[in-house]
Amino acid sequence: MSLDTEDTAVGTREDEPLSIISDTRLVPAQWRVHLGLIGSILLMASPLLLAFVMSTQTVPEVYDITNVGIGSDGLANYVEVFTTYGMASYMFNSLVMSIVVTVAKIAVSLLAAVALVFYDFRFKNAIFFLILFTLMFPVPVRIVPLYEMMAALGWTNTLLALTGPYVASATAVFLLRQHFMSIPDSLVESAKVDGVGPLRFLWDVLIPMSRGMISGLSVITFIYAWNQYLWPLIVISDQNKQVVQVGMKYLQSVGNAGQTDWGLIMAGAVLTLLPPLLALIVFRGPLLETFGLSE
Amino acid sequence: MGVHENTFDSTLGAYLLLLPTLVAIVAFLYYPSLQTLRFSFFQTFLFGQNTRFVGLANFTELLSSQVYLTSVGLTIAFAAIVVVGSLAVGLAVAFLLYEVSDGKAAYLIAAIWPYALPTAVAGTVLLFLAHPSVGIYTHYIEAWFGVEVDWFTVGWQGFAVVAIAAIWKQIGYNVIFMLAALNNVPESLNEACELDGIETWRRLVRVYIPLMSPTLVFLVVINTIYAFFGSFALIDLMTQGGPTNATNLMIYQLYRDAFQFNNLGLASAQSVILFVLVAGLTFVQLRVSDRYAHY
Repeated sequence: MSLDTEDTAVGTREDEPLSIISDTRLVPAQWRVHLGLIGSILLMASPLLLAFVMSTQTVPEVYDITNVGIGSDGLANYVEVFTTYGMASYMFNSLVMSIVVTVAKIAVSLLAAVALVFYDFRFKNAIFFLILFTLMFPVPVRIVPLYEMMAALGWTNTLLALTGPYVASATAVFLLRQHFMSIPDSLVESAKVDGVGPLRFLWDVLIPMSRGMISGLSVITFIYAWNQYLWPLIVISDQNKQVVQVGMKYLQSVGNAGQTDWGLIMAGAVLTLLPPLLALIVFRGPLLETFGLSE
Repeated sequence: MGVHENTFDSTLGAYLLLLPTLVAIVAFLYYPSLQTLRFSFFQTFLFGQNTRFVGLANFTELLSSQVYLTSVGLTIAFAAIVVVGSLAVGLAVAFLLYEVSDGKAAYLIAAIWPYALPTAVAGTVLLFLAHPSVGIYTHYIEAWFGVEVDWFTVGWQGFAVVAIAAIWKQIGYNVIFMLAALNNVPESLNEACELDGIETWRRLVRVYIPLMSPTLVFLVVINTIYAFFGSFALIDLMTQGGPTNATNLMIYQLYRDAFQFNNLGLASAQSVILFVLVAGLTFVQLRVSDRYAHY
């Protein structure tokens, strides 16, 4: 925290008298801003910090409620959820699901966006509207027939059921379409003169030009897919094929002699958060830019 | 309409590019959504083995069921609290981030990380930390404020804990969009406020919030949809609809009727009601904002 922020707080100021008035008001304000931010950040992060601390504790330490020191169990709980409670397979299943959804969704949406931007054909606007309108149908609105369909196709307990319903994306098509429309004419013209086909054009020109947007969309999609709970809960009944979010539910029942092993469950929670959190931190640049916010 | 729409000239080519998206939205979105409507006119019995056309009987059954009507009221109250709560906290944090002059990038990532927080993790962590008997939060709230915390048996407390978890998870998303909107405020306007000596909080209420109104409307719509559909994991992991149905949100009632009681017709009717309610709310929110928002 620093208090010497007069020079950056209000941008440029030319005339002396004004800056004196502003300074007296702004110095305590900056100080309060830092305090407010640190307070709210601590408040938002405290459940996780506590969860991490308790994930290192033994059962008796956890049940000693006010004990918030690093426990004597070390990382033993993490090893145990991996080796004994199926965390490795839950996380692997989640990873496969999230990567397949991300790659498929971006690929399919790229093709659709190329058609919507670089072609002129009948019903174009109607089709675009039809794609956007799918935003009105989240999984709960169609869950019963969707489940029946998976059962009829014999897709329950398979990767197809976990990923298929997530492939089409109004958001990705919308954002890619907007991005493609902003590409300068000269680039498109030169492709036209060279007579390259649409797929070549997509691969050689559009994708290299849209790296930021594609990585941003990939992170958003990965986090979204990783965090799904309701659909996997319904469509996967074989515990070995389950994703990590529902794995959290299975972990809840772990315990000895009537005492729930909360340290173990917290270890599972921390592990479940880690991949999307890392994706957010590593790719924060393109992610924020896709949402219209640059650092 | 489009700027590049004559780059390629082949209607067939355009449709081929759109094919994967169209197949996916028809198969996984439009077809099951229409099926939901059809199912809602049928009654399922013998554990889903047999069906019979019953017209609007499922709807009349639901709308005359005290349990269901309570669930609708609860869900609307829950959505209102989550929308207002997550927008208010989000706005406060976004405004602080906008005002801070040092360490902006570090504060930003520390404030938006809940965007990556899986709902199941939020639910599991708070289930433990706020646990009536072993939770550290509960321990200190009881010690400092002298209140009895037992949200496993006191309805409104269970409701409050789930709402807090839902708000926590949603803050990151709101902060990202609000900060993007704040960054679009013209610098000249800040200088004008500075010249007029307008206090910070007055600037937020009188200048920034009106300028952010398109983003705020968008966030109200998104947060409403999230509150209606996205809280399932919290309920399933924390309260299972209890205590005494105090957290029996519509989405949870739907899940129970469909996948625990195999009452597929009744569950489909609930999907239809959810859709109508959310579509109606979205429509009203957009209409109201048309009148009041400054675009």
